[in-house]
Amino acid sequence: MSFIQKFSKLSARAKSGWLLGLIIFFAIVVGLTTGGNYYNNFSKYLAQKTNQIVVLPLVTELPFSLGLDLQGGTHLVYQADVKNIPEIDRAGALEAARDVIERRVNAFGVSEPVVQVNKGMNGEYRIIAELAGIKDVNEAIKLIGETPILEFKEQDTTVKQITQGTSSSSTAEVVQDWKNTELTGKYLKRATLQFNPNDGSPEVSLEFNAEGSKMFEDITGRNIGKPVAIFLDGYPISVPTVNDKITGGAAVISGRFNIDEAKLLVKRLNSGALPVPISLISQKTVEASLGSKSVDNSLKAGLIGLLLVSLFMILYYRLPGLLSVISLLVYGLTVLAIFKALPIWLALVLVITMIGLIFYTFSELKIFNGTLAVLFLVIGVLLFFYAQQAVTLSLSGVAGFILSIGIAVDANILIFARTREELKLGKSVSQAVDSGFKRAWPSIRDGNVSTIITCLILMFFGTSSVKGFGTTLFIGIAVSLFSAIVITHTLFVLILGDWLEKRTWLLGVRKAKIEETK
Amino acid sequence: MIYKIIQKRKFFLTISSLAVVASVLALFFWGLNFGIDFTGGSLMEVEFTNYKPSMTEISDSLKDANLHNLIIQPTENSTILRFKENTEDVHQLVVKKLQELAKDKPNVTFKELQFDSVGPSIGQELKSKSFNATAIVFIMIIIYISWAFSKVSKPIASWKYGVAAIIALIHDILFILGVFSVLGHFYGIEVNTPFIAAVLTVLGYSVSDTIIVFDRIRENLPKSHEDFENTVNRSVNQTLTRSINTSFSAILALLAILFFGGSTIKDFALALAIGIFIGTYSSIFIASPVLVVWEKMMHSKK
Repeated sequence: MSFIQKFSKLSARAKSGWLLGLIIFFAIVVGLTTGGNYYNNFSKYLAQKTNQIVVLPLVTELPFSLGLDLQGGTHLVYQADVKNIPEIDRAGALEAARDVIERRVNAFGVSEPVVQVNKGMNGEYRIIAELAGIKDVNEAIKLIGETPILEFKEQDTTVKQITQGTSSSSTAEVVQDWKNTELTGKYLKRATLQFNPNDGSPEVSLEFNAEGSKMFEDITGRNIGKPVAIFLDGYPISVPTVNDKITGGAAVISGRFNIDEAKLLVKRLNSGALPVPISLISQKTVEASLGSKSVDNSLKAGLIGLLLVSLFMILYYRLPGLLSVISLLVYGLTVLAIFKALPIWLALVLVITMIGLIFYTFSELKIFNGTLAVLFLVIGVLLFFYAQQAVTLSLSGVAGFILSIGIAVDANILIFARTREELKLGKSVSQAVDSGFKRAWPSIRDGNVSTIITCLILMFFGTSSVKGFGTTLFIGIAVSLFSAIVITHTLFVLILGDWLEKRTWLLGVRKAKIEETK
Repeated sequence: MIYKIIQKRKFFLTISSLAVVASVLALFFWGLNFGIDFTGGSLMEVEFTNYKPSMTEISDSLKDANLHNLIIQPTENSTILRFKENTEDVHQLVVKKLQELAKDKPNVTFKELQFDSVGPSIGQELKSKSFNATAIVFIMIIIYISWAFSKVSKPIASWKYGVAAIIALIHDILFILGVFSVLGHFYGIEVNTPFIAAVLTVLGYSVSDTIIVFDRIRENLPKSHEDFENTVNRSVNQTLTRSINTSFSAILALLAILFFGGSTIKDFALALAIGIFIGTYSSIFIASPVLVVWEKMMHSKK
């Protein structure tokens, strides 16, 4: 408390000094996260050159998650068993199986897989799945191949009579004769994890689609007083007795699993059952289809892009342009750091620093309100979530990042244009800067929020590459809001002063012109 | 200096309408030149005993075959090739070329392990879901703009700003599709997965660019002594420098990709550059004029 009181008594410049310290800390953290390998190489080199006198601590190197084209991955081939499918439906069934496999792979966070149907010379069908940079191949195989076959069975009375007539074996065996009903996992709309309100044991609740609900109603209707079995992968996992006809299309599978098993089952059920049985026939490791040359090329393109944008900003906006270039550097490092899979503490440190600085800067500008707080908290939570996950970078992803460097300066362009207008109206530099930020904010807000809405829709309603694209764009927008406003503002406040009031040409406005418009 | 942009709206709107009609016609008659991600193609696995050729060696030897979308993936002891063509002629040509690669090396034999057709890597689900997502984006953006502009419901209702932004957006998307239809027809430029990403980028860029112009209108309207048309024109002029500067810096970044980023992403950068350009154009010359046209129409009805 006393610290906050002391802090609020400080002059604007002194406060900015503290903020600058925090921003430098932030920049160092994201810099070490993004370029940990460069730093480690440097400190090893330094230690060697100085005969171990200057020994800098090493940092953990976190890898980028690169796409199939840049680092290769695993190439899996599955044979599809189509003998039970009429010739005419085969292509459609395989196409559906392809979508299911893609969904499963994506559910486990492996981005941008390539999944293709492969029709062999002899008319056999295969599915090829290529996953970028999977270390544990068995894990990948497990998540693709394990088909959750969900079946609902009723007692088979006809079989029962025949078995009873032909053999006198134990009745227990006879009761286990189940016959398939028309209802299967195909008609599942959604599965969710829930807990039994009585004993807290995990349960999986199933919700059927319209067709499935009707079937479930019929099945329960004709089996009142009799058991109906839910089979998973050929084994009965739940055999409840029907008390009454169940309408509304909801069922619960209870018992026999712990939380992790139930979670896994929910994931697998939600990604859908495969319409055809598949078996793995080959697996091999593939190398990157684009050599290290194209990685070098895109790295070069990125640096040149950064240089061009920086030059333009400095030439056009002078001193403020230089400040925006510093913000842009922090922007680039932060986005790249968030693309990596960060440990939870690091994600937390980054997001809290960013949100804290945003809140502070906005309240200094006196444009802070409840809606904004909610907006930034939502952005912060999402950013925290995605910071812990790796974003897979394919070559086009890298290109998208380079483009984002060009777009990230937009907020600064808006602010500087406003500042110039205010200067021409005859305001002092410090007033002009303040109202430049304030007046540009509604535009920045509405423009960025509309893009964030687009991103969220792509993230939640899209699949595969569309989803990945929405995520990267979101990260870019969120970080650019931070860099272009918070960092640029802090730096601006630090350099304000009499010296600048006399040198308005540094802001691209001549003193004479100001007098003129007055 | 104030440019008469809105006053010349008939000119710009006519040009854009013609461009959109031309794009739709091009799409209707020529369609898009879909690449391997959409159409599928061939998958070939080959092995060179006692030798591992580099990717450049293979791609150089296949240069004359003119394969589309050729992807070469080395594995531990074989090489997987993917390309769009799936005719037997092309297959034989590829085999011949690769045999030549092995010929002049001692103890090296070429073996074809597999030649099959592969389906598209863009599934039905991705297509339908992207389509639905885009529709939801349209609706949500109209709702957001109606809310954000609710303070300026005079002289035209705030939701109309949203609709005008979406009209500009649809113009942009149709235009890019049209350009790629023409490029595909005459220059064989293909549309693959990155193209979807490019169109989506433009989706975000175009709307935010339009909103920034509208925001100036929102700010100017309450204190303006001029009529709606002139207020809109003044607002467009005030934001002109910013619109041009932002798209210029974005295009600078794209130029770097175009010239230094290697050949594989050139088409992607081209799609983005066209999209950024047209997104900026439409926010100035379509979205704001549409607002004025709408306002005039309401006047004449009354």
